[in-house]
Parts: sequence; C-alpha cells; structure tokens
Amino acid sequence: MEEILRMEAHEIAAAVRAGKLSARTVLEATLERIAAVDGIPGRIGGDPEAEPDKIHAFITRTAERARAQADAVDAKIAAGEDPGPLAGVPFTVKDIFVVEGTPSTAASRILANYIGPYTATPVERMEAAGGVMLGKVNLDEFTFGSSSESSAFKPTPRNPWDTSRVPGGSSGGSAAAVAAGEGWLSLGTDTAGSIRQPAAFCGVVGLKPTYGRVSRYGLIAFGSSLDTPGPIARSVRDAALMLQVIAGRDPHDATSAAVPVPDYLAALEKDVRGLRVGLSPDYFRIVRAEGGELVEEPLPAEIKQAVLDTAERLANMGVEIVEDVPMPHNRYGIPAYFVIARVEAASNLHRYDGVKYGYRTPDRVADMREMYRKSRGQGFGLQPKLRILMGMYVSAAQYSERYYQRALQVRTLIRRDFEAIFDPEGKYRLDALLTPTTPTAAFPMGAVYGDSVLMQYADQLTVAANHAGVPGISVPVTTDADGLPLGVQLLGRDFDEATILRLARAVEDAVDFKPQITQIAQK
Amino acid sequence: MEYEAIIGLETHIQLNTETKIFCNCKADSWGEPPNTNICPVCTGQPGVLPVLNKAVAEKAVLLATAMHAEVQRVSYFDRKNYFYPDLPKGYQITQFDRPIAIGGYLDLPMPEGYTRRVHIIKLHIEEDAGKTKHANGYRLIDFNRCGVPLIEMVTGPDLRSADEAAQYLIRLRQLVRWLGISEGNMEKAHIRCDANVSIRPKGADYLNPKTEIKNVNSIEAVREAIATEIQRQIREVEAGGKIEPWTLEWDEDAGVLRKMRSKETEADYRYFREPDLLPLVMDDEWKARILADFPELPLERRARFMAQYGLPEYDADILTTERALSDYYEAALQAYNGDPKRVSNWVINEVLRLLNERGLSADQLKVTPQYLAMIIRLVDKGTVNTSTGKALVVKVEDSGKPPKQIVEEEGLAQVSDAGALRAICEKIVAANPKEVEKYRSGKTSLIGWFVGQVMRETRGKANPKEVQKILRELLG
Ligand SMILES: [Zn+2]
Repeated sequence: MEEILRMEAHEIAAAVRAGKLSARTVLEATLERIAAVDGIPGRIGGDPEAEPDKIHAFITRTAERARAQADAVDAKIAAGEDPGPLAGVPFTVKDIFVVEGTPSTAASRILANYIGPYTATPVERMEAAGGVMLGKVNLDEFTFGSSSESSAFKPTPRNPWDTSRVPGGSSGGSAAAVAAGEGWLSLGTDTAGSIRQPAAFCGVVGLKPTYGRVSRYGLIAFGSSLDTPGPIARSVRDAALMLQVIAGRDPHDATSAAVPVPDYLAALEKDVRGLRVGLSPDYFRIVRAEGGELVEEPLPAEIKQAVLDTAERLANMGVEIVEDVPMPHNRYGIPAYFVIARVEAASNLHRYDGVKYGYRTPDRVADMREMYRKSRGQGFGLQPKLRILMGMYVSAAQYSERYYQRALQVRTLIRRDFEAIFDPEGKYRLDALLTPTTPTAAFPMGAVYGDSVLMQYADQLTVAANHAGVPGISVPVTTDADGLPLGVQLLGRDFDEATILRLARAVEDAVDFKPQITQIAQK
Repeated sequence: MEYEAIIGLETHIQLNTETKIFCNCKADSWGEPPNTNICPVCTGQPGVLPVLNKAVAEKAVLLATAMHAEVQRVSYFDRKNYFYPDLPKGYQITQFDRPIAIGGYLDLPMPEGYTRRVHIIKLHIEEDAGKTKHANGYRLIDFNRCGVPLIEMVTGPDLRSADEAAQYLIRLRQLVRWLGISEGNMEKAHIRCDANVSIRPKGADYLNPKTEIKNVNSIEAVREAIATEIQRQIREVEAGGKIEPWTLEWDEDAGVLRKMRSKETEADYRYFREPDLLPLVMDDEWKARILADFPELPLERRARFMAQYGLPEYDADILTTERALSDYYEAALQAYNGDPKRVSNWVINEVLRLLNERGLSADQLKVTPQYLAMIIRLVDKGTVNTSTGKALVVKVEDSGKPPKQIVEEEGLAQVSDAGALRAICEKIVAANPKEVEKYRSGKTSLIGWFVGQVMRETRGKANPKEVQKILRELLG
C-alpha cells in the first residue's frame, strides 16, 4: 500500500493502463489513507476544534461512486480498451465545482443542501479520462479567503506539515489532501492566488492556467473575470498530466479559448538552456495601504533567499537570469482586486435568494422581501456578506466611476507590465518571471482570520497574474526554519503553460525538496 | 388652450429563434406547461455560463438595418442587477451603454396623408425573465420564458398622438414579420410596449414631466391607454395641477390607468460588463452574410407598387401588409403579364379571402401565383366565366391540381357554341310562355331572368353575353 501511495499519478496511470495494477487496488489504498489521516469531514455546525491532529480535507466523500468508476476503468482494461490518460488516478474536487448527484456546497450554508444537477466540464473531462473522484474537498466559503477557515463546514482543513497551521486557501482542502496522500490530484480554482498559495503552504505544485485555458463551466462563480480552474499535484509532471486533460475549448464557456492545447508532457522533456527568466524587485516587497498611506515592507529574508537560490540553480542549468525587471503596477493589484472581484461577487451571489434551491429561512415571513433578507442573512457567512456590501457600494451608480472603472484601468496597467516583459521585441524578452509565491509560510490557525484586509495581502504576489490573465505555477523549493515548505512562482506568457511547466520541472530537479507525501505532524 | 402630446415608445420584441439566447432550450413555449423548456443555464443554477445564440445577433442586425440604424462593430453585454423571483440569476443579461445598434428612424405614412418620422435612439438585445403568478396564497414561477431573446428598441419623443403611437406599432409589427425575426403577435406578448407620455401647449419647444405607461399588450390598448392619459394630463393641467412623473399600469379590463408604487420603479441596477460573455464583434464579413438577401421593405415596396404598377394606395397598402402576400402578387403579375390592377383585384378579393378563411400565409397556398395567373387568363379568354374562375381558385387550393385539368375533368368550360346555346334558349323560351308574354308587352327587364334560367340549365357554364344576344333575338 505504502508503495502505491508513493507512486506519481503518471506512474499510476501507466501501470493501470498496462494492466499491472488495478484501479480498484489503487482506490482502496487511497481510501485507507483517507480513513487514517483525514478524520471527520467538515459539516455545518461541526466543532472547529475537533480532532486537531487530522487533516479534515473533505466535505463530501463519494467512496461508492469512486468504486464504481474504478471498476469501470478495470472493466475497460479487461475489455482491451484504453480508459484514458488518468486511468485509475484518484483525485479530489474543490467543492466549488458542481458535480451531478453530489452535494455542491461552495462551503456555504446557503448551498449546503444543493445537489448538483450537472457536472462541471473539468471534472467531466477528468472522469472521462479514467480519473476516479474521491469526493469534494473543503475551502473558504465561496472561495472568499486565503486560509480555508471561513468555510461554514467545520472543522476546516489543517496543514499536513503542522496541523496547528492553515493549509492556505481558498483551495486549502485540495492542497492539504494532495500533500497528505489523499488522492494524487485535486481540481482547484484560483481567483487571486487560491491554487498557488495553498500549494506553497502545503509543499505541493499548484498551477493557475491562462484565463480561458480551462473551462469555468460548473465553477460556482466568485470573480468571473478572474476565476481560473487548475491542477494541484505533488509533482510538476502530474500537474502537466492533469492540465493536458482539462485544458481546451468548451462550447459551454464562451470565455474558453480556442487556442490549441500542446503536449505538455513532451514539453517537460525539453532543455531549459537559453530560456530567459526575470527577477523583479517589485516582487520582493509588500506594499499596503494604511491610513491613506502606502506602507512598504520587505519580504522575510528566508523567502527572498529561496527565490535567489532557485535562480542560481536555474542559472547553473543554463537559464539566463535577468535582474531588475520592473513590475511597477504590481502594488496596486490588491486594491484593484478588492473592487473588481467584489463587484462581480456581489452580482454572482444574487442568485442565492431562497427561491429556487439552497437555503430558505424556516422562519415565518411577512413578504417576499423578508424571505430574501432572512434567507440570505442566515445562509451567508461573514465573508460573503462583506463582499456583497462592498461590491454593491463600489458598483452603485454614483461610485462606479470612482472605484470600479478606475480599478479596471489599473487592471489594464498591470496587464501592460506583463506585455512589456514578455515582448519578444522588447527590452526584457522574458520566458518567465520568477517570484516568491507567498510573503510568509503557512500561518497558525486563527492568526490572520478575521482580519480580512490583512488576509488579502497574502495574495499580493499572486493576484497580478489573475488581473493579467497570464499563467502561474507554484513549486515547493525548500523548508523554512520551522520546517514549513516554501514555494516559488513562475509566471509565463498567455497560453504558454508549457514553458513554465518546463521551468518548474527544472526547478524540481535542481532543488533539494522532492515530491513527497507529508508525514502528518503537529508542531 | 390647444395641447399636443409628446410620446416615446419602448418596445420589446420577442425574436422567433429556435433556441433561447444563452442556452439550447426551445425558445417558444406558447401553450406549454410551466417549467418544461428549462435547463441549468436558464434557471440560474450555480456554476452555469451563458453562450450567445448567434441567430439573436443576426436578427438584431436585420431589424437595425431596416430601421436605418447604425450597426456597431463591437457591442457589449452588461448585467442589470435586481432581485425578483422570476429572474433566476438575480441579474438580467442585457446591453447597456454599448448596444448593438444606435440611431435610425422609421417613417410612418399616416392615413391622414402626412408622414411622421420616428427616431430610434438605441436598439439592444437582452434576455427575458420568467413569469410569476399568485394562486392560493402561493407565488408560482414559470421559468419557460427565462432566456427567451428580446430586442429592446427605444424611440425618441417624436409621436404626437395616440393614433401615431398605434401606427408605429402596426408598422413595427409589419416590419418584424416581414423580416422574419418575430411572430409579432402582441396578444402573445411578442411585442410589448411601454409608453412615455407628456403634453405641452401646441407649438411649444420644451418638454414637460412625463408619465410612463407599462403593461400594454395590444395595439388597441396602446391607443386607448395613451388617449386616456393625454386626456387626464390635460384635465390635470387645466385644473391648475402638476404632472408628476408617475409610472402607470394599464388595466385593460377596467380601461383605466393605475399608479404603480414608486418603490417598484426606483432602482440602481448597478450595471457592469458581463464577464461571462466576450464582446460581440460584428465584423464586415458576418454582417455581409446576414444582409446578403436583405429584402425590399414594406413601405418601399408599397411606394414602388404605386409608382411601377399604377396601383391605388389602397391596393398597394393591402398587398404589402405581409411580405409573402406581396411576393405572391408580384409573382402572379409576372406570370400573368398583363394589367396589374386586374391581378390586384383577384389577389385582394379572392386570394386574401382564402387566406383569411383558412388562416394561411400566401407562401403556403396550393393555388400558386402561376395557377392564379392561369385562372385569370382562362376568364380573359372566355374559357370560363368570372364566377367559375372564382370557384376555380378554391378548387385548385383544395385539390392542388392545375386549373386547366380541373376545367377539363369537371367540364367547367364555358359553353359559347352558338348552336348549342340557341337550342337551350329556344327550349327555355318555349317552356315559359307567360314570361315571354310579359317581356313582349314591355317588361324587358325580364331578360335577366331568362339568362338566369339558361345559366341554371348549363350549370353556370354558358357565356352570359352570348346567351343574352340569342335571347334578345328570340324574344324579339
Ligand atoms: Zn435553458
């Protein structure tokens, strides 16, 4: 069993396709692992402090569905058919995706009773490729957060490296599950860093593809112009394998791009010699607004050093490192995100009104307005309410010009920063930008939660990629003084996931940190 | 004092696409049970996304072109946010500041002889909401109509009377049917209309506060509601009162306008760009494809029928009510290759009657324009008489057989053979000595009665002129 769990997803798929390993055997080993480390799943009204030494990645486990899928894969093998590139690979899905016949909750009370009537495109593609869905994993309510602690389903996920710490968020359940060996792959979403930050916190690989690369159909929307589904995996190769399956145009998503999908696994084999990778001083500091002033803080030395060490090792492999690349608008990424994401979120949350599905107040109500007010008041947690209030405010007719329209202009400027550094005729001609993924390692549970503004600054190094739409990947490179993993981020050109995957694979080779299943620890 | 009314109309036109605007559900649910044409997308399930039905944009371009509006190369979709149970997403996808077409006009020929030019301010596409109804203390929602495609078109304050407003709707209905973009049936709410109404002293150049009339769903109701509101405003002003910018609802059964609660009309919809849809890019190639067989428009054709064929306005107007009918007329005229007015008479009298009786459109007729031309020719040549010709129109429609074949099979050809007719006339004269006596004593009007007897004897096939000639001779 241990041996199976230590294999990579591409190895599992190869063994299953070759008939050397049955999908059912892989699944049962995984279910045993889940039973051993996960503890009780999150639920409405659950005890947040329950089983503090367990991971609590899941909201819903779908073992019977998974067994049926694994058996179907084995039946195909027996019949001489190819189940596909994810044959027998167990995976989890962030519970922000709708999956037919399963609770699809967005980690919110307001959707706690909602059973999906259809299946999200990326999930459908993974299942069609022979993947085996283990269940739906926990997250921040409607993805609104960076620690997974805002979930209405308690207990919320814990970091396998130290269960007293958060796994990050909002795809915290996804990263924690993958790190803890509860499935090889997880489908997450990234609106400001929600794949990359938890991946960095949990010592795994997280890829935010280009906006439009992966269909959003079935992703319960937060910031529709920023939301991007993507893979979380233990190795770069496994992330590439998963991207291969989920990428590509979807007729159900008008914003999905018709750009051809290259062979990502083949791209990993190419040499990185001669690629140009930039370092930007604007990614080595955090700038935040405090009392109307911009306060600038350097990143912790450990974090910066991890990036510089990685750059040096890449240079040793023949990569050209370009220093002092300016990204002047990076510092406005968070304020602009505050506005844009909240305007879209407030509108996206309109549909949860107690009328058609989801939570409806059990109280007696005088009229429809009161039914709305009570259903939404009782159904939404604090984070959605904050976003609705601010989103409504900044998109109101009299303020829209001052906030929303301005934020859109900032977004254009951020996009231009990226166009300038990737311009093949320009001064920098970069293939990728190398940055830290997060300003800190995983923080203790309860430490930042509740301070919504501070929590958002955790995304300052990741959010620009969402504004610009460009792809980004976080790869673990080392551990800090507390023994917690640290990640670096590679940002690339539009639809050029192949190059950042290739570089990420080189980083994986060059650094001492290797893909692994975390030994569950409590420090 | 004399007043004039200032009226602007906002119309919603339901397009006749196969499927809804953002999903693959059937668009037309007329007469179907509630909540049968629905899917995750149009019921606003979590996670769904809209995908634009291109036919909607194409139909909008047709209407915009017909209204002489400027089709925009790039237009955008926006969200209009508000809460209502029949609006499942909590926002309506519409076009706000960058609609698919801007400007344009429609010239209305008024029965009084003048023409009223109505300017179009903007034309945009959007989705419809569902329907709510109250029953037994419950509020029931039917989502069938959610996502049915609409064009909203807003006119300038250019109409000056309730009749002009009605005329605008009549011409708009004619146009959308002509273009084949909507069934244009107001009773089925395919065209819905809100009217903005104000009055001012005749000749004044300023605008007074206006009221908005909502929920009017027939052309007669629009005429009545506006006329009622104009009278109310005049009474109010004459009595020294002020016009408040109310929103009024037309109660068709009671024939009165009711004030709607102001709460329902004040809202900030917090419009912003719909991030789930790309900008709608109407490039030259696509536009050219849409407009490749853009038809001659009804008012243009009406004018041409008068100029080219010398038809009276009355004929031209009737022949151009429906595109299929006017096509039919021209095809019949071409096949007939003779007097346009003669063909017009046959189409207006015989064909139109048949269409009305059977609820058909002219392009569905089995009496094709070519058959009609043959029938008129048969009458011209005297092969059949006029009443047999008219009967033939119905017989061809019923059987689908060529007119000549029916004439042969049923022996309908007119009897013009002088010898045969003379024998029949002699027989009739011999059998009716009393009438012969009366005729000869001066009651010559009896000639008609004799002709009738002969026609009866020949089952209507005799050439009445010939019969009359022989009879006069015999009765001498
Ligand atoms: Zn539908």
